[in-house]
Amino acid sequence: MDLSPWVAVGVVGFGTLTGVLSALFGVGGGLVMVPFIVLVLGGDQHLAEGTSLLVIVPTATVGVIAHARRGYVSFKHALLLATGGVGGSFLGATVALELEEGALQVVFGVFLALMGIRTIVQALRTPPKNV
Amino acid sequence: MNQSSSRPLATAIGVGLVAGSMSGLLGVGGGIIMVPLLVALVHLSQHQAHATSLAAIVPIGLVGALTFALENEIDFTVAALLALGALAGAPVGARIMSRVKERPLKIMFGVLMTGVGVQLLVA
Repeated sequence: MDLSPWVAVGVVGFGTLTGVLSALFGVGGGLVMVPFIVLVLGGDQHLAEGTSLLVIVPTATVGVIAHARRGYVSFKHALLLATGGVGGSFLGATVALELEEGALQVVFGVFLALMGIRTIVQALRTPPKNV
Repeated sequence: MNQSSSRPLATAIGVGLVAGSMSGLLGVGGGIIMVPLLVALVHLSQHQAHATSLAAIVPIGLVGALTFALENEIDFTVAALLALGALAGAPVGARIMSRVKERPLKIMFGVLMTGVGVQLLVA
């Protein structure tokens, strides 16, 4: 991709926003980076996913260091998650070729929306003074 | 946790497996699914879940990035520019998280999850 200097500055700015979101919510940030690379910079889907994954590694590392200093990280659980996660991504990539993408997207979308609403409702039911 | 501690440990592997599969299948996944499952099934606090999910994302992302690098599907200039900003942003995000209480953090994450879910349904 050819980037003018001003676009390059914009990309750094967008990266900053991504870094904040990543550490705040414990997510990689691919959620916002992939659409940004595809829609704004005009990269294709695979290039966007690969580029986003590479950015996630140092970003998440810096976020984790900051969280660990405050004692929020359970490294034991992180190790187990990563063990399952690495295995799962191979599994997912293999199964992806066999499955109808649309159907799975709907199932996952409904699941996330319901979990999201459940989380909000639970939080609202908790008396504020206790947390 | 007063019960035997081996069950939550096995659960954590299972959560990772589900999150990894979803990100392999849909390109979405990782944290957005690990965080709610860590809270619901492994009983971490919202803050611990965010931080622990982020720690698991490092090796998962590394393996993913290597796979794409082998296929030449990385734009290193764009990656460097994004990372330059992101490395400055991450400590800010971590600081914000540490100052937000459990309840508002849950609500914020719930809104994010619902939004992503709806976006998947609409797309």
